[in-house]
Amino acid sequence: MKSTFNKIISAALISLLFFSCSKDNAGNAASANSTGKGGSLSRFTIAGNFLYAVDNHFLYTYDISDAANPVNTNTSEVNFDIETIYPYNNRLFIGTRTGLYIYSLDAPSTPVKIGEAQHARSCDPVVANDSIAFVTLKGSSNCGPAESGLYVHDIKNLLHPTLIKKLLLSSPEGLGLQGSTLYICCNNDGLKVFDVSDPANPTETRTLTGAYFKDVIPYGNTLICYVSNGIMLYDISNPANPVQLTLIAN
Amino acid sequence: MRLLLIAAISLSLSSCLIKKPVPQTPYYNNIKVWGNKPIYDATIDAKRIAYIDSAFPVMIPGNIYAKDNFIYQLEIGKGIHVIDNSVPSQAHRIGFITVNGSSQISIKSNYLYTDSYDDLVVIDISNINNVHEVKRIGGALPEGRYNYYYNQPIESGYYECPRYDSVVIGWTKDSVWSSCYKN
Repeated sequence: MKSTFNKIISAALISLLFFSCSKDNAGNAASANSTGKGGSLSRFTIAGNFLYAVDNHFLYTYDISDAANPVNTNTSEVNFDIETIYPYNNRLFIGTRTGLYIYSLDAPSTPVKIGEAQHARSCDPVVANDSIAFVTLKGSSNCGPAESGLYVHDIKNLLHPTLIKKLLLSSPEGLGLQGSTLYICCNNDGLKVFDVSDPANPTETRTLTGAYFKDVIPYGNTLICYVSNGIMLYDISNPANPVQLTLIAN
Repeated sequence: MRLLLIAAISLSLSSCLIKKPVPQTPYYNNIKVWGNKPIYDATIDAKRIAYIDSAFPVMIPGNIYAKDNFIYQLEIGKGIHVIDNSVPSQAHRIGFITVNGSSQISIKSNYLYTDSYDDLVVIDISNINNVHEVKRIGGALPEGRYNYYYNQPIESGYYECPRYDSVVIGWTKDSVWSSCYKN
């Protein structure tokens, strides 16, 4: 019995640490006293005066109005296989292996589920803006059978997200949105740059190669890429045309 | 009858003397094999937060996080690399915050939030020369007690199931009871 438990825990651990796919956090380049901006494998995020943390099953809410003294205000069961959490505009997007859940933060101390988009089992990082959620699904033996690619959901009606575009890509992982430019890390296939001014028709404009790309954070004029051999920085004064600055090698 | 009693007593005695670990599962043989054995640390020591004022080797990189002129990257299970990004073309690692059992990071103003096993930890990063823990909420993330990176060896094969009265900080090869198996 105990070992069965161990096996389950082990499986969860492996999936969490090795194959957990990623999600880019929201937020703009930060000012000195606000929050920063997270990368992909995020299970912690801050929105306003609250810290939201997920483990495999639960969403924990902490009031951090007094930043040095978090106070738990809510714990709610979400699903099995939670992977990532992403805040945008009074909403929390929770990516799980079987779907995208949207929580309202109208009462930030107690998030309430208001919508969901079910999908085939896979890893699913998400970024979103007011009307669109960009999701990369990575189908694999570890993630599930979904077709790997970029899935664009219209979320104007949060209660019923609608899939408006599916673009097949091999091994997409972390992604980041800067205005109308979308960056998608595609492991050995490189970092793909898309123009998403028309979200229903993302247009690939460039592919940067030379590293195994896992995750990305557009931060002001710098694009911070988590690659397997370190951290690669690009200047994105022109978002459509990243210029390499340096590699901080492992 | 008496003989039977003696036999029963000696049997129970011998079973006391020869302490065999109880098999963890009927699926695995309770035999000694060459496998991975946990290296433990006392929980109280493992949970101590420290700041190292120099670059730390990157072994198992994780989440990245950007805030002001710094980039942070998780070293899964060990802590957080600190990168000076004030001049992006010359960005470089300057230090390391030791947080065993960590996997996450988020920052608000001068406070960094991370996990350390099943605890939620708040670290004051206002002064890079005086990085220190200001709050620890024990058991805030219950799954973290069993679900942390070093709770299992990296390679597949048999290993000795870890105990939970202390924490695992690494693994070594040894003759172990084949109590757990990783695919």
